[in-house]
Amino acid sequence: MREYFYEAPESLDELLGLLQGLNDEEVKLLAGGTDFVPKLSKELDEIPKEQKPPLHIIYMGNTGNNEIKEDSDNVYIGALVTLTEIEESNLIKQHLPVLIQAMEETAGHTVRNVATIGGNIMNASPAADSITPLLVLDAQFVLAGIDGSRTIAAKDFFTGPGSTVIDDKEVLTTIIIKKGKGKAAFKKLGRRKAETLSVVNAAAYIEMDNGICKAARLALGAVAPTAVRCYQTESKLVGKPVKPELIKEICSGVVEEINPIDDIRATAWYRKQVAPVMLERAINQACSEE
Amino acid sequence: MSKVLKFVLNGMPVKVVAEPQETLLQVLREKLSLTSPKCGCNHGDCGSCTVILNGKAVKSCMIIALTVEGKSVVTVDGLGTDGKLHPVQQAFHEYGAPQCGYCTPGMVMAATAFLNENPNPSYDEVKDALAGNLCRCGGYQKYVDAVMAVAKGEFGPIPKGSDVDV
Ligand SMILES: Cc1cc2nc3c(=O)[nH]c(=O)nc-3n(C[C@H](O)[C@H](O)[C@H](O)COP(=O)(O)OP(=O)(O)OC[C@H]3O[C@@H](n4cnc5c(N)ncnc54)[C@H](O)[C@@H]3O)c2cc1C
Ligand code: FES
Ligand code: FES
Repeated sequence: MREYFYEAPESLDELLGLLQGLNDEEVKLLAGGTDFVPKLSKELDEIPKEQKPPLHIIYMGNTGNNEIKEDSDNVYIGALVTLTEIEESNLIKQHLPVLIQAMEETAGHTVRNVATIGGNIMNASPAADSITPLLVLDAQFVLAGIDGSRTIAAKDFFTGPGSTVIDDKEVLTTIIIKKGKGKAAFKKLGRRKAETLSVVNAAAYIEMDNGICKAARLALGAVAPTAVRCYQTESKLVGKPVKPELIKEICSGVVEEINPIDDIRATAWYRKQVAPVMLERAINQACSEE
Repeated sequence: MSKVLKFVLNGMPVKVVAEPQETLLQVLREKLSLTSPKCGCNHGDCGSCTVILNGKAVKSCMIIALTVEGKSVVTVDGLGTDGKLHPVQQAFHEYGAPQCGYCTPGMVMAATAFLNENPNPSYDEVKDALAGNLCRCGGYQKYVDAVMAVAKGEFGPIPKGSDVDV
């Protein structure tokens, strides 16, 4: 059987130091474990075809970055904040209610109680329910390494299913979101109402001025190898009066910006039918009650 | 590489040797002989392994055992007091909610943690709270009705400290 090691560093510095020391070894960072542990259990159920190298499991739970903070311009969400903590945060409710909307539709309570926002981002699933809202909120991700940290925009972060621009000696520490003037909304289509991954999800951020769309950021999930910012559709919306018929027409063009596949949850054909509808619903909600 | 793990189980300090890849569910069932949390799927989908960890209901098959170091874990075995069932247990019993009973310990833990934080829930909130717990016998309605009855006080006050923190 594969050999497993476990470390639980007590600070971020200790964690980064540990990563430096593990050069030719396989390492797994563990946050809530709701993506990793089921995969590990599957690995343990199978009779291994080859001897895998030892795996170092490094638990991040004691390394801080578990708070939600704000200053006059931004909201800062620690990577280790759980989905339940986001759902229950007054600060998020006041400034970023779209995240609460997304969290309430992610998995169920017993998963959200341990699952972290950093884990949802770093798992980099094209269907992850936090990623489309973070894309339209123009979130920035802070990555810490031994020599300091760097900040990457969410829109430049994801490179494929399960992959991002992060280096294997770095960890995600914070998500920074500007307090915007506009309104955002999230819509999810799953096979059931709870405990199910998105067949398609959509998020929209809209700034309005006298019935005219001043700024728009749109995103769709589970329709391509990564969640997609829909730049062409955004540009069609800006400067236009936001009328339901016009939104519908503009959204129908979004199929040009996506590249879905057939999988266990839905076919590519079905995803192309529902993606414009989910986006339209998200935009309509983001434009309402102005 | 095994390590010594110390945590509080149903109010009692315990010490057990655990492997890095072992889940809390495995340690409870196989090392501490506490078989009330069930292993329905081992992949986070069914909720039959639900326990209360530091006051929150979690699926123990997705928790690496060593991460509960210093924390508090409660299973159904820790709920009743002085030979009396916890109101949630009593309600499930009297409403005839369990059929085969396999999902029941998980349902009890999810419902108890939920009621501790939301003593006056709506029907839809209760449904939402139990959404991660599958019942292969399909007895959802009675489980939800029973939780509503507990919330209305039909089974007496919920004892404090059933989610003891360390
Ligand atoms: C029953 C069930 C239902 C689910 N439903 C949904 C759903 O509806 N929507 C959805 O989006 N997801 C869903 N998920 C997936 C999962 O719960 C989420 O993706 C969750 O947010 C992962 O967070 P975690 O902390 O548990 O991640 P972990 O499993 O701890 O980590 C996930 C990955 O990210 C890496 N990682 C974690 N934190 C960091 C960090 N700070 N820096 C660098 N790397 C890091 C880990 O190494 C690992 O590769 C579901 C899972 C289950 C089991
Ligand atoms: S056994 Fe843990 S969720 Fe099914
Ligand atoms: S009572 Fe049989 S699984 Fe729920």
